[in-house]
Amino acid sequence: MATDHREAEQPVNTSDSDFQEDVEFVETNCVPGKCNSAVFDTTDELDDLTLNLANGVIQNHRGTITSLIRKRAKRSNTLKDEEADQDLANSIASEEANSIEQSELSSELSEDENVKNGLEDLSLQDTESVPEESPSVTLIPSSSETDYVNSLEWKQQKKHIFILSESGKPIYSRHGSEDKLVTVMGVMQALVSFVQDDKDNLRSIVAGDHTFVFMNRDHLTFVGVTRGRESTQQMLLQLTYMYNQVISVLTHSTLVRTFKQHRNFDLRRPLSGAEKFFDNLLNLMDVEPGLLLTSVRCLPLDSSVRDIVSQTIVQHAKVKDLVFALIIAQNQLVALVRMKRYYLHPMDLHLIINLINASESFKAAESWTPICLPKFDATGFLQAYVSYLDEECQSCLLLLSVDIEAFYTLSECRAKIKERLDRYNALTAIGNSLQRHSYSVQQCSIGDLRHFLYKARSTAQYTSPELGPPYNTPEQQDRLFGLYHFLHDKVHSVSRPLKLLYHVGKYETLLGWVTQGFELYAVFGPLVTKNVAIHAVNKLLRWIKREEDRLFILSSVTF
Amino acid sequence: MSGAKVDIKVVLLGKAYAGKTSLVERYIHNRFSGDTVPYQNVITIGAAFGAKTVSVDNKNVIIGIWDTAGSERYEAMSRIYYRGAKAAIICYDLSDRSSFDRARFWIGELQKHEEGCQIHLCGTKYDLIAENPELRKIEERETAALAQDVRGKVYETSSKSGKDVALIFTNIASDYLKSLKNTEVEDNKEYMVPLRDASNKRFVCSGCKI
Ligand SMILES: Nc1nc2c(ncn2[C@@H]2O[C@H](COP(=O)(O)OP(=O)(O)OP(=O)(O)O)[C@@H](O)[C@H]2O)c(=O)[nH]1
Ligand SMILES: [Mg+2]
Repeated sequence: MATDHREAEQPVNTSDSDFQEDVEFVETNCVPGKCNSAVFDTTDELDDLTLNLANGVIQNHRGTITSLIRKRAKRSNTLKDEEADQDLANSIASEEANSIEQSELSSELSEDENVKNGLEDLSLQDTESVPEESPSVTLIPSSSETDYVNSLEWKQQKKHIFILSESGKPIYSRHGSEDKLVTVMGVMQALVSFVQDDKDNLRSIVAGDHTFVFMNRDHLTFVGVTRGRESTQQMLLQLTYMYNQVISVLTHSTLVRTFKQHRNFDLRRPLSGAEKFFDNLLNLMDVEPGLLLTSVRCLPLDSSVRDIVSQTIVQHAKVKDLVFALIIAQNQLVALVRMKRYYLHPMDLHLIINLINASESFKAAESWTPICLPKFDATGFLQAYVSYLDEECQSCLLLLSVDIEAFYTLSECRAKIKERLDRYNALTAIGNSLQRHSYSVQQCSIGDLRHFLYKARSTAQYTSPELGPPYNTPEQQDRLFGLYHFLHDKVHSVSRPLKLLYHVGKYETLLGWVTQGFELYAVFGPLVTKNVAIHAVNKLLRWIKREEDRLFILSSVTF
Repeated sequence: MSGAKVDIKVVLLGKAYAGKTSLVERYIHNRFSGDTVPYQNVITIGAAFGAKTVSVDNKNVIIGIWDTAGSERYEAMSRIYYRGAKAAIICYDLSDRSSFDRARFWIGELQKHEEGCQIHLCGTKYDLIAENPELRKIEERETAALAQDVRGKVYETSSKSGKDVALIFTNIASDYLKSLKNTEVEDNKEYMVPLRDASNKRFVCSGCKI
């Protein structure tokens, strides 16, 4: 299907031809944030997407949790034949539990789904006997919700995201209630199936200034409709995040088994109460470049403070079966400690950040909740202990374990960690850093540089200054984000990837530069020449290099 | 508050939106946010743990409270939250019939897996009913009969006004103290011993079968 390259704006003077020869002018030995020992799982999702979609296979990470649990079981056997029924706890995180959960889901479903859903959604009633039929489109109740999805306002939303089941059953819509969108989703599923009948896959449709992007995974169809700057590839990445969010709530095993047993299953039931996570994730994607770059943003912090924080965690949360311990403050990573040999993927971290970001409930009390991290292991749950460390609820501690009984132990760890961090003034230091709002671009003292994103590829982390004028209104921020999407797409273009892109737009000049070690996206005033821009980014790289200890986590801390 | 210091484990169960978190918030922090915060933002994820010390007959009892999420996807792991609980507060929204059906489900679960757990039926949002009696969907005699069946207690509470919220927990605490006295008489043991035993049991959880 068609791919579409939209210009950033009416170009005054575009020269986005290949500037590979210019790479010689610049010093490439300066790679700020470079690190030899891996901090995160750095597999690049965008590469993965391109590769996997081409092959038609999407890999799922699996088995990690099972092997951790086996290790745990072995250990407790050799220690002592303790409570045999501890296995109940273990199994919940593993495959077996999924089947328990599953059988409960489906048995219950047969009992009261007909009664309950039958009243709300008549289209469900006959699907059981006629599974091939696409959903009934006759049921269009009139209400304000219905009016909304037929309104101009709905049509003019910048980005729509839909999730539907293989049988065309609505599961999620970003704008408007999904059950008022039976018709629209029916049409979408019809399009998808029509192309699939020819053993082909519908990837995207361009209609006017809208791009429709489709992704099929595990009996689900994800549809993104945008009139923004996102390329098909970037939309696919966003849909992948949505898919990962589904997995994070249900696990891959449950999802697949559910649909295998019951093709017309209404997935909204097990997802109920999780709608907020989808909405919030989409909002996050519109403002947080880390998701586009599949990289992590660290809270700028003196490395001595960060060391204190992570060493405190190592000392006071040295608990068996604890896989990851991390502190997050305002969507930024403060510290991460991991079990040896196990890595956290930035995409999983974004789901964790989304969990914290979307929910006020963690502020009220300590929580203990299952979470599946699809990149870590899509088949099972980790148990997350979640608690804020300060009165203002800024620094959030997360302890992720495979031991479902560990709550009280981890709660004690939290008390010790909090006490130590208070004593060392580390929480105050975190608070101060949050108050300072990262750093302004002026601090880099590079004339005409307005904003930038810098990603260190070897550490999967990125840094960028706060949004200052002229990007201090939501409209301008949105526009800036569009420019980054444009630049990012050009340098990642499947058909013609560029190493260096210099683009003169109406309001600003853009420079994108990708090397083995980093990705840099810089935005200048409109009058900057190519030479000046290249000179400036070199200076910028040196500035980031000087600040790298504060901006990045450069050494990996393990238990 | 660490779990090791807790005397009694209490679990709240019930349909999503039944008002469990509001009940705990009223009891522990004496506050009610109501409509000021959208429910979607405070919907419980997994389960939340809180503790409070209550004084009964000049004795202090520390109650550890597990406020579970009503969302159905957590059902499969609900056992880890109610296992070893001395008391369960089963919440249903007095204005929502389906929440009462869900309450029956939880009673069944407890009777199957957690025989020693005292059941407290709790009809929530009484203030709504008081304001408009037509909203009532569950009659008092119905809940009284059910309570008798399961040899439990029944309450109608409002987290908005605070009506009868503390009463549930005070009753749980005095039940606990009574049970201590009984064991004291039976086993002729010192007061402190069963207390420590009781608190240990919760974490080791011996004797539970799948
Ligand atoms: N008027 C009134 N509203 C209440 C009362 N208790 C709870 N609510 C409201 O009912 C809604 C649900 O309350 P929650 O306490 O969050 O419900 P929950 O049982 O914890 O829900 P889950 O966490 O999803 O299981 C909220 O909007 C509360 O404001 C009450 O006593 N009176
Ligand atoms: Mg709740």
